[in-house]
Amino acid sequence: MTATLEPVRPRKPVTKPSTGRNKATARAPWMLLAPFLALFILTFVLPIIVAIGSSFTKVTRSGLFGESGISSGFAGFSNYVQALEDGNFTASIGRMLLFGAVQVPVMIVLCTALALMLESASAKWPSFFRAAYFLPYGVPGVIATILWSFLYIPGLSPLFDAAALVGVTPDFLGPSTVLWSIANIVLWSYTGYNMLIIVAQLKAIPAELYEAARVDGASTWRVARSIQLPLIRPALLLTTIFSIIGTLQLFAEAQVLMTVSPAIDSQYTPNLSAYTTAFAYNDYNVAAAQAVLIAVVAFALSFTFLKLTNRKSP
Amino acid sequence: MAVLTRRQVLGTGLGALAGGMLAGCATPGTVSVNTAPTIAPAGGEKITLTYWAWLKDLQKVLDVWNAANPNVQVEAAWIPGGNSGGYQKLYSALAAGAGPDIGQIELRSLPEFMLVNGVVDLSRYGANDYASRYDPTLWQQVSYMDGVYGIPQDSGPMAMFYQPEVFQTVGATGAPATWPQWAELAAELRRLDVYIDCFPLADASVFAALAGQAGARWFRAEEDGWVINMTDDATLMVADFYDQAIDKDLVQIGYGAYTPAWFAAASQGSIASVVTASWGDALVEGVSGGAGKWRGAPMPVWEGSGFGSSYLGGSTAAVMSSSKHPREALEFAVWMTTSQEGIDAMISNSGIGWSPARDFIGTSRQGGSEFFSGQAYNREIFVPAAKDQNPDWSWWPTTQQSFNILSDGFRRKASGTTLVESIGEAERQIMTVFENKGLTIRKEQA
Amino acid sequence: MSIRTVPAASADDGAGTSEPAAPPRRPPERSAPKDLSSGSTRASKIIVTSILALVAIYFLVPVYWVVVASTKSTEDLFGTNGFWFAPTFSLWENLRSVLGYDGGVFVRWFVNSILYAGVGGLIATYFAAAGGYALAMYEFRGRNLVFGTILGGVLVPGTATALPLFLLFSQMGIANTYWSVLLPSLVSPFGLFLCRIYAQETMSRSLLEAARIDGASELRIFHTIGLRLLTPALVTVFLFQLVGIWNNYFLPLVMLSDTSLFPITLGLNNWLSQVDRLPEFYELTTGGVLLSVIPLAIAMIILQRFWRGGLTEGSVKA
Repeated sequence: MTATLEPVRPRKPVTKPSTGRNKATARAPWMLLAPFLALFILTFVLPIIVAIGSSFTKVTRSGLFGESGISSGFAGFSNYVQALEDGNFTASIGRMLLFGAVQVPVMIVLCTALALMLESASAKWPSFFRAAYFLPYGVPGVIATILWSFLYIPGLSPLFDAAALVGVTPDFLGPSTVLWSIANIVLWSYTGYNMLIIVAQLKAIPAELYEAARVDGASTWRVARSIQLPLIRPALLLTTIFSIIGTLQLFAEAQVLMTVSPAIDSQYTPNLSAYTTAFAYNDYNVAAAQAVLIAVVAFALSFTFLKLTNRKSP
Repeated sequence: MAVLTRRQVLGTGLGALAGGMLAGCATPGTVSVNTAPTIAPAGGEKITLTYWAWLKDLQKVLDVWNAANPNVQVEAAWIPGGNSGGYQKLYSALAAGAGPDIGQIELRSLPEFMLVNGVVDLSRYGANDYASRYDPTLWQQVSYMDGVYGIPQDSGPMAMFYQPEVFQTVGATGAPATWPQWAELAAELRRLDVYIDCFPLADASVFAALAGQAGARWFRAEEDGWVINMTDDATLMVADFYDQAIDKDLVQIGYGAYTPAWFAAASQGSIASVVTASWGDALVEGVSGGAGKWRGAPMPVWEGSGFGSSYLGGSTAAVMSSSKHPREALEFAVWMTTSQEGIDAMISNSGIGWSPARDFIGTSRQGGSEFFSGQAYNREIFVPAAKDQNPDWSWWPTTQQSFNILSDGFRRKASGTTLVESIGEAERQIMTVFENKGLTIRKEQA
Repeated sequence: MSIRTVPAASADDGAGTSEPAAPPRRPPERSAPKDLSSGSTRASKIIVTSILALVAIYFLVPVYWVVVASTKSTEDLFGTNGFWFAPTFSLWENLRSVLGYDGGVFVRWFVNSILYAGVGGLIATYFAAAGGYALAMYEFRGRNLVFGTILGGVLVPGTATALPLFLLFSQMGIANTYWSVLLPSLVSPFGLFLCRIYAQETMSRSLLEAARIDGASELRIFHTIGLRLLTPALVTVFLFQLVGIWNNYFLPLVMLSDTSLFPITLGLNNWLSQVDRLPEFYELTTGGVLLSVIPLAIAMIILQRFWRGGLTEGSVKA
């Protein structure tokens, strides 16, 4: 990933074709790009413009219900101030940072370990396990959450009967635990997918490298550390970046669990907060400011991560 | 590449900023339908109205009307209940200009829809002619500034359902008549590891109803703006009462009523009773093995102050600003909520809450119920309860956000903040919310 | 398994011959480092496989639970052990009510999901291929600007654009239509990114020059040569986008209010949100979840084989 982020230099200077061709060749990339670009502008660029625009707009009402006039005008940064002063919104960002700081490394370590074990000669039935781990990825987040929520509810979940045998009463939905119950759902959903990316990368390691390691008498652990891990680093980067972005997108899990867990408030995650602000509080402008802030945080995190890993790479 | 991209992205961002200024997108909900001329009746032409509600089998009720009114057909579409998704849908449909003709909107949420110009002032279509058919407290709760913004559809006068056998285990022969007696009984029950009831920290609407019973009046609409008073004696008395109840572990705060955990506990007898609205009967009937074990009783009262009951929940059929046929929608809504056949159909198909009609509670609600051992609890308990209400209570245009602020504060009870403290804090935050919306609000002068 | 460091038998044989007292056939497991290094002794096989099996249980338990739960009536759901079947088997009854509820709306949701994911995935792949190919194979002014902006799109959380997109679509009058979900699904910045890198790695411009000399038009070259060479990456992009759309919840939630346009995620959550008032929806939800998981499970098991192409050769190339 890191290397490919470099601007691409043509392998050889583009040959100057005849003039008639020249025009066609100049037009061709734009024609090929046109459908993608048109939709990209419609669904990425314009919404961002709209969001930025409305995050700087303020609606003012007069009268008890705005019946004696509604006006809208330039708001400066007041919507951003309001979003950042909203303790629940900033708390939701902090909560996601905590969530990401724990869940992402756990997931990356787990999926790497699973991939290495699956690809080691010690694993029996690797294709069965691979399929079993990958299966949850095909279960949409909402449905995964519905599934797990049934397992979290006292009185409905057999997990409580099992826990009672050892004398424990778990509380999956309490104020201090529910975040990790959500983390579990995310872990369940995406570990298999990330593992598969790493497995694909492992499979691409040439057999000669292993052969050489064997001749040197390297242990399994050593092979993993000095051959496999360095070579799957790009895959790890990719999965980490996607996991960071995914963490900030967290929405469905919290929204679905809200109905069974009183500990989840309507601004539990940044996205839920923006959604609530827009559609429950009808404050589209503050919601837009929140959406912009979410995107900025995602950007900042991804870039920081890329920078850090770039610096470390030889 | 990273540097290059960042610069590019920054450039795009600045361009976007300029574009946004130029585009000046209109924020949804800023155009009022209630100053536009009224819409004439369809006049014999065949029309179809849509009605978005979270009532079960609503279409069967509508079919009764449709059979008698071939020219005004009404179709139901199901939406999730209120703030669990239904309102979000209504708001976004209104913003998209594709709302229904009629929407189910809770009494408490009506002002929020007024704030975004989502509902039609029905007084301009003659709604006040029907006022005498409705419970006066409820009619009061749909009337704002000389307008009528929804037709009461059902409500929830509060009372108590309890398990006599569980009460008897500590020697109580009936339900407690006052809140202090209730607390005494709760303490007795705790010795047997039974909770008398839950207190929902996450849903402030119950607390609001309890405060309303004690005589609170949180909001008043005055000529010059809103007047807020959430720290009156009645509210603080109720808050302090529950602060103590929670501190002494008298109430269950781990889950709320009618959650799966509650059903499990209720059927094992480790939840003894529930103070709830009339519509709670159907839910209590869902307690497995509960038949014959439950009875109704009046809500406990505060001696010397407050009212006998309070309203919890309750909704309206509101005509949405997207409707092209508000007059017909009004006529239909009045039929549905006041005619005998409408009310009976609503009860038998949709299991609605308490009928808002002044003099008809529904045929099936006259007699006794098998589950409640033949007790005619509707006539005995809820008819008087519906008449003993706080007439001054009024809802306000940021109810949901206010309730969220309140329950966010209540959740901090676990970390030691009292309910009394969080109400004072919530009041300040709610005033800020009003001001941010440009509405005028002041604190009641004592 | 493509990688086997050491054949299992040879390691065991080597250990056996060095110990005369060892039984003739299988020697007992040894913990010598040399054996461990082969990664294939019986001990390590048992350990690794049991770890993998434990993890597999974790991944499969919720699915098993829903299979069991969907065979129960609501009363049994709360009254009987969740990990075993109830005496009365009500699976068919439950499924009948799932499929029959509200005039078969579940089937409609399912078809909608297939439509959004299938059509969206296919077209998105085609557009991403064309774009990625153009960026890889042509030098033109603004190329880096275009690519940089699109790369930025990869990093923007999809949910951050959904709200403003809703406001935009509302004004265009296409909110709450099939288009409102389909149009945003047609763009896959990550897909374009993959295709570009894959094209760069695997295609040479001389091939295109040859085709040009044959007189083929630029678009024709893309459709005949480009798409064919890109196929392995296209499969990955398609699957990625397919699952992405299928799993998407936020976008349709924001865009759609008409239940007949719902994809299955939204529909099932609609049912779940009714259980607190109407407990019979537990049956509908568990049955519906089962019906929606089964085809996906089959699809995932089949598709995981194809989940390679572009990812290995392209994007993650160091």
